[in-house]
Amino acid sequence: MSRSPLNFLQLLQLADSAIPIGATAHSFGIETLVAENLLTVDGLESFLHDYLAETGLVDAIFCRAAFRASSELLPALNRHLSALRPASESRKASLALGRRFGQLAAALCDWEAAPECHLVLAFGLVAARLEFDVDETVLACLQQSVMALVSACQRLLPLGQIRAAQLLWAVKPAIVAVMERSRALQPADATSFTPLLDLASMRHPSLDVRLFIS
Amino acid sequence: MNLKLGFTPGRFLVHEHQAPWKVVRAFHSPGGESLVHLHNVSGGILGGDSLALTMDVGAAAQVQVTSTSATRVYRARDGALPAQLRTHVTVAGGALLEYLPDPVIPFAGSRFEQRTSITLHESAGLFWWETISCGREAAGERFQFESLFSHTEIRSGRQLIAVEHWRLEPGRGSASSLVRMGPFLYSTVFYLCHPKGVSLEGALVKMAHELSTVETRWGASALVANGCVVRGLSMQSRFLAAGLISFWSMAKETLYGREAILPRKMY
Repeated sequence: MSRSPLNFLQLLQLADSAIPIGATAHSFGIETLVAENLLTVDGLESFLHDYLAETGLVDAIFCRAAFRASSELLPALNRHLSALRPASESRKASLALGRRFGQLAAALCDWEAAPECHLVLAFGLVAARLEFDVDETVLACLQQSVMALVSACQRLLPLGQIRAAQLLWAVKPAIVAVMERSRALQPADATSFTPLLDLASMRHPSLDVRLFIS
Repeated sequence: MNLKLGFTPGRFLVHEHQAPWKVVRAFHSPGGESLVHLHNVSGGILGGDSLALTMDVGAAAQVQVTSTSATRVYRARDGALPAQLRTHVTVAGGALLEYLPDPVIPFAGSRFEQRTSITLHESAGLFWWETISCGREAAGERFQFESLFSHTEIRSGRQLIAVEHWRLEPGRGSASSLVRMGPFLYSTVFYLCHPKGVSLEGALVKMAHELSTVETRWGASALVANGCVVRGLSMQSRFLAAGLISFWSMAKETLYGREAILPRKMY
């Protein structure tokens, strides 16, 4: 891997969970799992590992594909990813975050706005234009996604800052493993079995009290 | 081992028919659909089996297809290829296909792969459910199969509206993970496709909320276009079966103005 110091700093900024695209407003179904007493702090680390093995792998494959895709192929990738996401709330959230990410990148880099697409695709697309390394891009994208989930959990569960940092530290080998698996896989290979997580996202609009949009 | 079925209004054609498939001849259901029962005379799917099912539903045909019992997937012999089922479905303009099978039961040590491709004319309708069990629970088997793989894609007109592409290998990743099935043992998915299918979302979400209990959770959502999907997880298969019928009844009444009448068989 080779990159310039400027590249490194740009990647750090774009992968920061505090990047202003609205990610902090979404839990992607976690709020339902907590509200229904299924997800607890004790179960969080194994949850994140399994999340990475299923949803994370799909995200990694599509991020990598977008990094390499021509602009003509991007709409097909976007339609495929939409069709893979059965819960409309999470699907719309991912599209909204991707739109804002593209708009932010356009504002930072003085580009024309990128085509609207899911966040992981927008991440790959922007990273390719900035000539980041593709493996580092996938790692950063996964790390951003996990940081957003842990951040949501800090507001939903009795999860302190040190424990949250420990969790993020502990899942890093899993992030690397998913990135490495994604190297040999194409979008058509992207398997994901997440019925309870999908169900949680579908049930989210029916919660009596909600902190998050999704 | 192929089975190719064709349907036109009031007519049912078996184009190709190989064992172990067996088709119980079409009845006219009280709702006006042609009702067909599919039967696997070997009693289930064996390791190394390669089954293919093709259903072409012609314009304006109204068809209901069910199974005679649960699909049992038997233990695979060492070295045998996974049992395979490939299903190709086309539904032409103005037609309706209701595919309402019994659950799939993967026995301990079984390996099963299914690939399903459904192409709908944009004016066609589809009710399609599928339930997966944890295994022979009465025999103490829970998630003791080796692998289940499923690929399903649904197109309406030229648009890809749903893709499922999953693999469950309990030996490599716990089925009881909160990402996967959590504490539940049975999983179902129900696709409801129709030109006005997205408009069902609110009613389905409301019904999912009302039907959910501690033992059974339901959720519903609009697809990308032309339909909705209902998902359910439960501790017991019968709760899922009852819920599916409720969703189906409401949707059929709303979209077609007709009562949903269950296929004639033992439940």
